[in-house]
Amino acid sequence: MRGVGSAVPGIGSDAAIRMYHVSKSYMAGTTALSDVSLELAKGEMVFLTGPSGAGKTTLLKLLFGAERPDEGQIVVLGRNIARLGESAIPPLRRRIGVVFQDFKLLSSRTVAENVALALHVTACSPQKARARVFAILKQLGLQHRRDHYPLALSGGEQQRVALARALVNEPEILLADEPTGNLDPDLTVDIMDLIAGTALRGTSVVVATHELELVKRYRKRTLRIEGGKLIEDVRPLGNAR
Amino acid sequence: MRNSIWLRGFYQVLYFVRSAFRGMWASRLTSGVAVLTIGVVLVLVGAFLLLVYNMEELIDEFGNELQITAYLDADVSSDAQRDLAARVAALPGVDEVNQVSPEQALERFRSSVGSGVRLLEGLDENPLPASLEISLSPEQRSAGGLAAVSVSIEGLEGIADIRSGREWVEGYLRAISLVRTIGLGLGVILALATLLIVANTIRLGIISRSDELEILSLVGASRGFIRAPFLLEGVLQGGAGGAIALAILFALFELALPGLESGLEMIVGSAPRFFSTSESIMVVGGGAALGLIGSAGALAAGFRS
Ligand SMILES: Nc1ncnc2c1ncn2[C@@H]1O[C@H](COP(=O)(O)OP(=O)(O)OP(=O)(O)O)[C@@H](O)[C@H]1O
Ligand SMILES: [Mg+2]
Repeated sequence: MRGVGSAVPGIGSDAAIRMYHVSKSYMAGTTALSDVSLELAKGEMVFLTGPSGAGKTTLLKLLFGAERPDEGQIVVLGRNIARLGESAIPPLRRRIGVVFQDFKLLSSRTVAENVALALHVTACSPQKARARVFAILKQLGLQHRRDHYPLALSGGEQQRVALARALVNEPEILLADEPTGNLDPDLTVDIMDLIAGTALRGTSVVVATHELELVKRYRKRTLRIEGGKLIEDVRPLGNAR
Repeated sequence: MRNSIWLRGFYQVLYFVRSAFRGMWASRLTSGVAVLTIGVVLVLVGAFLLLVYNMEELIDEFGNELQITAYLDADVSSDAQRDLAARVAALPGVDEVNQVSPEQALERFRSSVGSGVRLLEGLDENPLPASLEISLSPEQRSAGGLAAVSVSIEGLEGIADIRSGREWVEGYLRAISLVRTIGLGLGVILALATLLIVANTIRLGIISRSDELEILSLVGASRGFIRAPFLLEGVLQGGAGGAIALAILFALFELALPGLESGLEMIVGSAPRFFSTSESIMVVGGGAALGLIGSAGALAAGFRS
């Protein structure tokens, strides 16, 4: 269990995410996460791996306040989520981009409208929103799909729309749950390059995946959880980030 | 910086308006039925309001005619008459006292009966008594005021008899208060009905848009941001219902007016009136307020789970 020891108070004050002994169970008698401690610096990118049901999605949900921990402390962008009031969660979420495993796109809105949703909640001007949406869709190769509805898109295209919505707000943290699950190998590389690029520009990134190929290729820090426990925290040699 | 806060507020409102209209359009059948139902309900409330207004208006119109006529004993000298008039004028609740001599009374009678009538020609002596016409101060122009002032006049020496429209006024005021009570009861029930109609359409809207609300919440929309479009929807539905009610009432009023006008003008010489501009705004605003309360209730119930 290398690296876990660094997650103690006082160390790494520029951390974007800190978890101390966090446990979570959805029903009595079962555990989704147990005693997880970790720390993620600003601009750091990390893979979160583990078998299905290991607790990857649960960990991400705890980070943007979709679930509350049963035990332990979670500090995200300087705020203690475990103690945060209901009204303090939305402002925090606006600083975090999330790609959901099931995309969570609105089928009644066009691609552009879906992406713009993340800007509307920040009271962005319509002109600025249009420009930003256009730019991010272009970056993700979706500009020709702007006015289409999600159900008319392939799985991979929908996934990229979800990523576009997560990134359009230039978040400080990006949480991506299986962001390449539906992409072909070429597109996977493109999208992962884009995600890695946002980390280089200062966004802290957590990518949950069970594609080990991906993890190997990108040589990033890798957290492995199994049965809700953090069993490995590997930082590649000669590559701090 | 200040400017940018205003601008951001403006963009938010813009989004709320678009979102509210989008929501109503998405459930246009339910919303349309709700608006029409509210309209019909408010027509009933508005009709009672108009009725009470116009009945009250009548009292004001002939408030000046709400007078007491006090006939004097025949043996009261003209000095004493003046004296009596001054004492009556000093009574509380009395606005003005007008002395009417027997000659004036006869003259009035003649002109009201018409010159062709020879009924009075054989009379040697004027049979009509002198009288005082007493008008009440504005706050006493009611059945109660009339009774109180009558009693104090009756106690004065030299007064033979008193006539006032008291019974008539009392009956009329009772009718007004009855109409007002019925209208109030009906209004409360119908206002509750309006609240429920709006609350129900908003509740349906919340259910049918639950996935949108979930996603909004996940991308960081605050409670207020998620709720504002629904509140606005309630306001718009209630306000539209109020406007429809106003239009229906106006149409009915215009249709009924010719008949009402001739009838009323004969009795009191005043035409019935419709809502003034500010009252019309209040009818629409009242509908909007009911819509707001209804949707707020739906939101409070709908987001509890
Ligand atoms: N809403 C929920 N209610 C009850 N149990 C849940 C809920 N969400 C997750 N779980 C349980 O918690 C455990 C961890 O689930 P989680 O979704 O975090 O796994 P995962 O690592 O994301 O899996 P996958 O790779 O399949 O997405 C599982 O045993 C799952 O059954
Ligand atoms: Mg998962």
